Amino acid sequence: MMTNTVYPALVVIAPLLTALFCSGFSWVEKRICYPVAGAGLLVATYSAFRVLLEVLAEGTVQYRMAGWAPPFGIEFRIDLLNALVLLVVAAISLVNLVASHRFVIRDMDDRSGTFYAIYLLFVTGLLGVVATGDLFNLYVLLEITSLTSYAQIAMGDPDRGPLASLNYVFIGVIGASFYLLGVGYIYIKTGSLNMVDVASILPALQDSSAILIAFIFCMIGVWIKMALFPLHIWLPNAYTYAPLPASRVIAPLMTKVMVYVMIRLMLTVFGLDYIFEKLDIAKAVVWLSTAAILAGGVMALAQRDIKKMAAYIIVSEIGYMVGGAWLGNKIGMTGSILHIMNDAVMTFALFLAAGNLAFKLGDVRFKNLENSFAKMPWTMTGFVLAGFSIIGVPPTCGFFSKWYLVLGGIEAGAYHFVAALIISSLICAVLFFRIFEIGFFSGESHGRDHGHSAGPEMAEAPVSMLIPLGITSIFLIGLGLYSGVIVNRIIHPFLG
Amino acid sequence: MKFAAFLIVSLCGGLLLYATADLPAWGDPNSPAGTHLSPHYIEKALEETDVPNLVTAVLADYRGYDTMFETAVVFCAGLACLLLLRDYTRKKGSFYRHIPTGVVIHFKENRKNPPKSREFEHMDKEWVPYDLIMKTVCRILIPFIQLYALYVVAHGDFSPGGGFQGGVIFGSSLILLAISYNLRTVMDRIKERVLGFLCVLGVLVYTGIGVLCMIPGGNFLDYSKLAVFLPVDPGHVRALGMLGVEIGVGIAVMAVMVVIYVNIASEGRHDEGL
Repeated sequence: MMTNTVYPALVVIAPLLTALFCSGFSWVEKRICYPVAGAGLLVATYSAFRVLLEVLAEGTVQYRMAGWAPPFGIEFRIDLLNALVLLVVAAISLVNLVASHRFVIRDMDDRSGTFYAIYLLFVTGLLGVVATGDLFNLYVLLEITSLTSYAQIAMGDPDRGPLASLNYVFIGVIGASFYLLGVGYIYIKTGSLNMVDVASILPALQDSSAILIAFIFCMIGVWIKMALFPLHIWLPNAYTYAPLPASRVIAPLMTKVMVYVMIRLMLTVFGLDYIFEKLDIAKAVVWLSTAAILAGGVMALAQRDIKKMAAYIIVSEIGYMVGGAWLGNKIGMTGSILHIMNDAVMTFALFLAAGNLAFKLGDVRFKNLENSFAKMPWTMTGFVLAGFSIIGVPPTCGFFSKWYLVLGGIEAGAYHFVAALIISSLICAVLFFRIFEIGFFSGESHGRDHGHSAGPEMAEAPVSMLIPLGITSIFLIGLGLYSGVIVNRIIHPFLG
Repeated sequence: MKFAAFLIVSLCGGLLLYATADLPAWGDPNSPAGTHLSPHYIEKALEETDVPNLVTAVLADYRGYDTMFETAVVFCAGLACLLLLRDYTRKKGSFYRHIPTGVVIHFKENRKNPPKSREFEHMDKEWVPYDLIMKTVCRILIPFIQLYALYVVAHGDFSPGGGFQGGVIFGSSLILLAISYNLRTVMDRIKERVLGFLCVLGVLVYTGIGVLCMIPGGNFLDYSKLAVFLPVDPGHVRALGMLGVEIGVGIAVMAVMVVIYVNIASEGRHDEGL
């Protein structure tokens, strides 16, 4: 359906415009930048919400950039999947902006305006990647997302941040080049860049070796970008040493958006017939994701720092989503799409809690967390909820997507994948209960005088950081309780 | 490790070569790329956009949304340079030579730059004596380079050229000034703050034109809607929209080039460069 509203454009244009204003104001009055950035993301979130309502009411929304009809110009093509991911991305970046304000003031006040501009451009890139219906436009916005995330990561830890960012630059550029080469081959064989147009030409080219190579290169490109094991080596350091205001939004969103791109390429561009009937690689990919789940979990066990542990958990979660998408049945794909949203929210909650801890404790190595439940009860409540969701305890949202993935695995006969999911839950349980134990019980056991001390003082994080964590935690449970509605209203109609 | 890398590279190269067998012949007019979209652009572009240069028509109009974000990529690079390289602390000391007397002054940490005067010049291990030939040649050359840059921007609609090329040429003229004289000469003419504004202004012109098109109810970047604001022949409005956009690109690219050069050459201190 051609839309007459401005909301699809506004989702991307509002953060872009405010990024420009932030950058301009950073030379005049830095304090204006924060409200301006907030307004931009608020508009983007509201627009994404309106677009979702419109898509729910009237079906796929098309928005023609510059007014040209699709294969000639670039179009936004927003169906239920895009609309859902757009709303998640916009909302999370808005909440993180509020939660990170104190951090930005404390750590980078002299360059806060420029930081906000880069942050907004990063969000613009993510939203653009999700909204677009054009293969090359997707690459351009991916470029924006990558460039800004390199810059943000390099601002982190002064010793290790720049090096982690440099590694990420090298590998990220390679990943983007793979994707671009794939798109180039698609263009040579079809003469078109519009996803739907390409999809209408491709069935006639199923035996073409160039299309096969294009498919493989596109997939390897997005796998590198989403850090699918064993292409994940850039991720842990990049996410650990990035400044928290940036890593809290890069870590949950960047990889999830790349999973979205993979699913979009599979469903809309190449088509399930080509992938599952013509090519015989789905089983191998499910095995690969099984390995990713286990490897991510095992490496997470070896960490002594919450941020790095969370980074390895992300590696493991990527395995969930890739495996679910490649199981080749509807339940698995449902689980994968549902997990994009749920995992974005729960890793975000985890990083928010880690950020609050880091704000008060300096860093989040396990040995610093002693007595953290007594010192920061609210933050730790959020942390526990995020942990439960990642483990997959009902009624938090992580349980439901994992449930769909397990059912999908059983239906596809991929018992190794099912086993990996269950083992990974157990590993996560070990990971989080180890931290709970440190937070509850250590500290008192050595050196302190039991009977007389009144326990440590409350030293909770500022309210502006607690409220975002609270909202996110409520969503962890809310999304779990309403996951049936989301699946029936959004994901099943989308998958048809 | 080297062997593994070699293996991966050969595998990828082999795959790409394997696929080339399936590609259409080089320059084949019947290839999909030549028959699917291109005929429309070739036949209709002049009629629809009133711009004789097809490349510009595709770049700035049919796929203008892409180009806006290409400009934003350039802008991001400039911002990243400011964010990561700009040094707000002024930690390192520096040496200045008072030319008439030949006395060298040592400025210690946290000092401001020496008074703006042609009598001082920066001293470091790359210091070279005053070079009459180079400075004179550059001084004569730079205005012409800049004039040419403006020509390239303005003529993007009709001949090869456009905002990116023109912006780079203009930026390089300022970099030439910085190399042949010194960085302070450039920074005295264009303040850092002005450069920062120009980076923003360039992208803002592009995005602003896009948003302007939405006010009369058009889609983003639909230049034909600019007819409401511009008292010209409606058929020519798209061409003017493209010209405006190209100017924006030119400004942004020029400013970002200089920002990147200045920050890298002076290690973010903006006092003296190469």
